[in-house]
Amino acid sequence: MTLDLVIQQLVNGLIVGSFYALIALGYSMVFGVIKLLNFAHGDIYMNGAFVGLIVFSFMGLWVGNGWFGVVCALLVSMLVVGLLGVVIERFAYRPMRNAPRLSILITALGASMVLNGTALALTGGRHFAFNTDLGFAGVDISTVHITYTQMLLVAASIALMAGMQAFVSRTMYGKAMRAVSIDMGASRLMGIDVDRVIALTFFMGSALAAGGGVMAGAYYGSVHFFMGFIMGLKAFTAAVIGGIGSVPGAMLGGLLLGLLEAYGSSLPFVGSEWRDVFVFGTLILFLVFKPTGLLGRSVVERV
Amino acid sequence: MVVSFKTLACATALAGLVMTTVAAAADIKIGIVAPMTGQLASEGQDMENAVKMAIDAANAKGGVNGDKIITTTADDACDPQQAVTAGSKLVSEGVTAIVGGYCSGAVLPTLKIYGDAGIPFVIIGANSTKLVSANQGNAFLANSTGDMQATTAVDLFKKNGYSKVAIIDEGDAYSSDLAKLTADAFKVAGGEVTARETTTAGEQDYSAVVTKVKASGADAVFWTAYHAGGALLTKQLRQAGFQGGMVLGDGNNSPEYLEIAGSAGEGVYLLSPPTVDLLSGASDFKAKYKEAYGRDAGAYAALSHDVGDLIVDAISRAKSADQKAIIEALKASDFKGIAGEIKFTDKNTLQTSNFRPVIAKGGKWVAVE
Repeated sequence: MTLDLVIQQLVNGLIVGSFYALIALGYSMVFGVIKLLNFAHGDIYMNGAFVGLIVFSFMGLWVGNGWFGVVCALLVSMLVVGLLGVVIERFAYRPMRNAPRLSILITALGASMVLNGTALALTGGRHFAFNTDLGFAGVDISTVHITYTQMLLVAASIALMAGMQAFVSRTMYGKAMRAVSIDMGASRLMGIDVDRVIALTFFMGSALAAGGGVMAGAYYGSVHFFMGFIMGLKAFTAAVIGGIGSVPGAMLGGLLLGLLEAYGSSLPFVGSEWRDVFVFGTLILFLVFKPTGLLGRSVVERV
Repeated sequence: MVVSFKTLACATALAGLVMTTVAAAADIKIGIVAPMTGQLASEGQDMENAVKMAIDAANAKGGVNGDKIITTTADDACDPQQAVTAGSKLVSEGVTAIVGGYCSGAVLPTLKIYGDAGIPFVIIGANSTKLVSANQGNAFLANSTGDMQATTAVDLFKKNGYSKVAIIDEGDAYSSDLAKLTADAFKVAGGEVTARETTTAGEQDYSAVVTKVKASGADAVFWTAYHAGGALLTKQLRQAGFQGGMVLGDGNNSPEYLEIAGSAGEGVYLLSPPTVDLLSGASDFKAKYKEAYGRDAGAYAALSHDVGDLIVDAISRAKSADQKAIIEALKASDFKGIAGEIKFTDKNTLQTSNFRPVIAKGGKWVAVE
């Protein structure tokens, strides 16, 4: 591999990795607080992209297809889909909270299918164009062209994640979240409104996924009902690599996974058809040898 | 007695009348099998209309071998079970020949029924290679089978001077098969395949593959899978500064491709089956079709019309309605229609591929002149 190629794949890996990280963060937060693998998370990402597209197309009539429209779409979609996350938690997961772990896992699969099926029925399986006009200017590092859009995208996702980390570690609500994640019963006895904390966790996780969805839609220029499936699987893998339940772990896992994919498909004698084998092989290795991931703490099963 | 004589005369006259109707019923009956209901009903309607148009034209010229041709339509609904029912119905009606068939899955189980009955069957749309091996010798594929697309692709590469091509598929049976066939054919033709890549369906980021393809020094990229991935790939290749040619397999024949790829799609080649909008000589046919049926001719209308003409041509060359003679005549076909040339190989498939390259210009697919 020449140096240019190394740099180009680094850029590729960072961009796709920051999407993985954003989605992985929501997975991780929800798992941290109620020990649920929220399989509907990938579909929430897809819903975010659709809400963003609707807002963007509507706004486009007045403000055109530029940056302003994308930012508005991003904010509205994060709010709307964040609330959708709260609704899903309220009606699908809360009644199951004291049920066996397997039941709520199956409920999550059901929620995923409901979201996916609704999107399929409403869109008829069509692929929609998300035509933005964000310009193609940027900087050149030897033959590698990096657009401002790409830089901003990575910066925006890092900012979102840093904000989340600050929220969890610095604020009262963040403290309550951590407390609920350690011991839900004790938190309730200490006067923490557990339901509210859990709803907030879902809101934030879903809003991040929606943000990721809008950014991906605008960046790649296409939105369809199935886009959350692969993304959900990859984000789950990223969350496991980083240590599920850990906020910095999700970021690290996402970026590492993106780089692994980019460089993995450039290895000599190994074609891109092996890329998913790498990704999910890594997932299995982590689950077998280090299930707590890179930054996760070992969880002691409560009796 | 007089009365009874009259009755007798009447009866004789009636019998005579019946005899003449029977003689007229020696008309040649052609069965049309197509999806008339279900999701593909509109395609089926087109096939029926276009075949009938050809038959009507032949009847207007006095029929074939002095006989009139009549048609009967059976609905296979693109469903294997219903196709078997429809096929049995046509056989019991005693049709001379059958044309039609859109979905390979629905045509496949009927091949045995028509084969056992020895009825000549010209398949219009269905083009799975499975049909070739299941054919008992009486069926003919008037559409190119999927693998002939590879030949068209290699011809296009040579014509445009692409000597180094990167071939990308999506890992499913159809697209990886087409990629492999094209790679093999291109190597035989002296070309170089600089990269053979595979993407994951449903994924949005192709940057790793794009970087690899660019670094491989390819003159052109051939994408063998479907329009959703094709649009994203085209866009990302162009954004990464890839200047070479872009060729798409027939799975990309969708307006959504052009919508999503936007300006990146300009000048991209698509290998298309002979759909009526892309045939330069079809404008007359399109106008006549619209006048006759009050709607635009669909994708397979031109080919269906050709098959209608072809069967009339074969019957006239057979000089009888004998089914064995018609099959022999079909084998010897040398026919030129709106959609292209129809000549069969010894496996009853087309000798020359009817896929043709079209190019994206101004947000529309147009024929390459």
